[in-house]
Amino acid sequence: MSIRSEPLVRVALPPRRAFSLAGWLDREAVFGWLMMGLPLMFLAALVGYPLVYGVLLSLQDRVIGKPGHFVGLKNFITNFHDPVFWRVAVNTFIYTIAATLLKMVGGLALAVAMNQHFRMKNLIRALLLLPFIVPTVLSTVAWMWMLDPAFSVVNRLLIGLGVTPPGPSWLGNPSLAMFSLIMINTWRGLPFYGITLLAGLQTVPPELYEAATIDGAGGWHRFRFVTLPLMKPIILIVTLFSVIFTFADFQLVYVLTHGGPQNATQLFATYAFDIAMGAGQLGLGASVALTMLPALGLLIVALTLYMRRA
Amino acid sequence: MHTTSRRRFLELAGLGAVGAAIGPQPARAAGKTITLLHETSFIPPFDEFMQKTLAPAYEKETGVKIVYELTSVGSSPTRISTIIETGSGADITIIFLLYPFLYGDKLMDVSDIAEEAGQQQGGWYPAAREAAVVNGKWKAIPHSNIGQLMNWRTDWFAEVGIKKFPDTWEELYEAGKKLKAKGYPFGFELGHGFGDNHGWIYPLLWSYGGHEVEADGKTVVIDSDETARALDFARKFFKDCMFDDVLGWTDPSNNKAWMAEQISCTNNAESILWFAKAHFPDIGKVTDQAQNPAGPKGRFHLLDCQSHAIFDFSPQKEEAHKFLRWLTAEKQLGAWYASADSYYQPFLHAYDNAPMWQVEPRNIPYRDAMATAHLPGWPAPPDHHLAEAVAKYVIVDMFAKACTDTSTKDAIKAAETQLKGIYQTA
Repeated sequence: MSIRSEPLVRVALPPRRAFSLAGWLDREAVFGWLMMGLPLMFLAALVGYPLVYGVLLSLQDRVIGKPGHFVGLKNFITNFHDPVFWRVAVNTFIYTIAATLLKMVGGLALAVAMNQHFRMKNLIRALLLLPFIVPTVLSTVAWMWMLDPAFSVVNRLLIGLGVTPPGPSWLGNPSLAMFSLIMINTWRGLPFYGITLLAGLQTVPPELYEAATIDGAGGWHRFRFVTLPLMKPIILIVTLFSVIFTFADFQLVYVLTHGGPQNATQLFATYAFDIAMGAGQLGLGASVALTMLPALGLLIVALTLYMRRA
Repeated sequence: MHTTSRRRFLELAGLGAVGAAIGPQPARAAGKTITLLHETSFIPPFDEFMQKTLAPAYEKETGVKIVYELTSVGSSPTRISTIIETGSGADITIIFLLYPFLYGDKLMDVSDIAEEAGQQQGGWYPAAREAAVVNGKWKAIPHSNIGQLMNWRTDWFAEVGIKKFPDTWEELYEAGKKLKAKGYPFGFELGHGFGDNHGWIYPLLWSYGGHEVEADGKTVVIDSDETARALDFARKFFKDCMFDDVLGWTDPSNNKAWMAEQISCTNNAESILWFAKAHFPDIGKVTDQAQNPAGPKGRFHLLDCQSHAIFDFSPQKEEAHKFLRWLTAEKQLGAWYASADSYYQPFLHAYDNAPMWQVEPRNIPYRDAMATAHLPGWPAPPDHHLAEAVAKYVIVDMFAKACTDTSTKDAIKAAETQLKGIYQTA
């Protein structure tokens, strides 16, 4: 009576695979998340945490070195009643819209020009990137000298052309100061636009141009009906980036005018910095900086939706 | 091959993470190293004297190493805020203007050092107390004032018959009118710099009797006849003696204009003469310095005090205290001042007639100006409201507006609205 069925059962069962780390790691779901984990942690630490902390700060009467108390939307209401805050808001919008439009049109023209065949094409393309590569603070100091009344090459040129000396006060006149900043921002941002759009241009199949030419399209029509529609997605993406960078610009203003004269060039970022660091009002400063968020958020959503539809 | 490389990658990544976690941390030997944070000096021998003479001397005497950490000019407020917020960094710092008051809670009480220095070194100028005593306690040891005074071209002033610097703002205006007509305009900063605008605008406002806020720290009193008279003066001073660019100037601008021989008078620290002597000797020869002109209510200067403060949370604050006490003793302090000629004006009377003043007698007005120097916003208490008003350039912009196309009344109204918003009395 020694019949036992156990061995049979054991034989009948499929052999169970021992857990292996290598096998587990090889599973796409696991490996995928592992690969994503690091960038996600990176984003959470360097973008998520400061953002959440910034939002919390903006709701407190927090000053440097002292604990803050929750004050709700008081900081935002204070800003609402601050006439300079509104001036800063208008400045920031003018600066962003003007500089982005100039960069878009200029960048497209630059890309189309660079897409032609000419001698030393690669060298010139590389040189074009210079304004973007040179550290902003450094190039801004160079601009500071160029716009300085005593040393200005611009004014020397204008005086040579018959303008009465000493020529325009580029940073002393409120409107000219804003104009100068927009120009310098455009100068700095143009290569980014130009090179990115150039990369896009090179993906346009030559056959399309050939077909258009056969159909009798001239240079403008080829640009209008072939280049532009195909370039639209990339133009939108570059614009999105450019708007974000320009809207939050800090270095240029900080070095060149520090928001002067009379707040004519004060932007959200510089104003927030002065309040938070100069006056130690972290809460109020954060609330000024965060005012950028809804406007930028709306713009990003609008552009993304538009791209998806397109 | 595929799996091996993935696994290898993960192993390496894991090792890296573990390594980072258990690896050597930046060590600070407790009680053996004190870090002193300073902004880079305009006068290089001053920093060198700390690095090559004072720090080694202290280490030889006590075994405690002094790390003299230099940060760029203008960056100390951000560095100090970071140290206070994170609770770590340097043990002692240089600290300017209103900051000892803003951060008073986080700074060690150093009244004993201050009292001792006062007793042994001839007593403190009253301005020292104004700059460092927070709620009855010394929260910093005033090291020196970096006064903002008048710098003028003796040769050009002589061309219009002026040999001695004008004593009042009105006399200076008359001189400026003549000088501008000859192509030698004045250059006084009206933009968003930090020192060179406040350096003359506050003294001008005070000398006409104007103030932003009462000493109670609540009542906004900018809307006064005195302020209006100061603005009216500034408008004609700007229009008849200066040129448009000063509206957009920041702190380096007047120095550049001076060396470019573009302006005949400005308001600056001694560095303008120091730099001219070193790099443009011909300009140095015809540069002189004078106290600010007087107005109907007296003569004033901006108190631009730099002090040494110890962070109260520093684990080595007792060691830092010993070092600061040693540094504040006459033997060390006197030699350190002397290393920079008289760029740093001492707050202790013991140095009133020190030999350093004879090295460059044209700097003596900077010493004399300390008797009439006040912090920005005086007589309002230096607090967060005041710091906000200064950071928002309320007073500077009020003057700049009045100098351009805004009426005196509207410029004052705009400043009053801003001040009331800041002081929450609206």
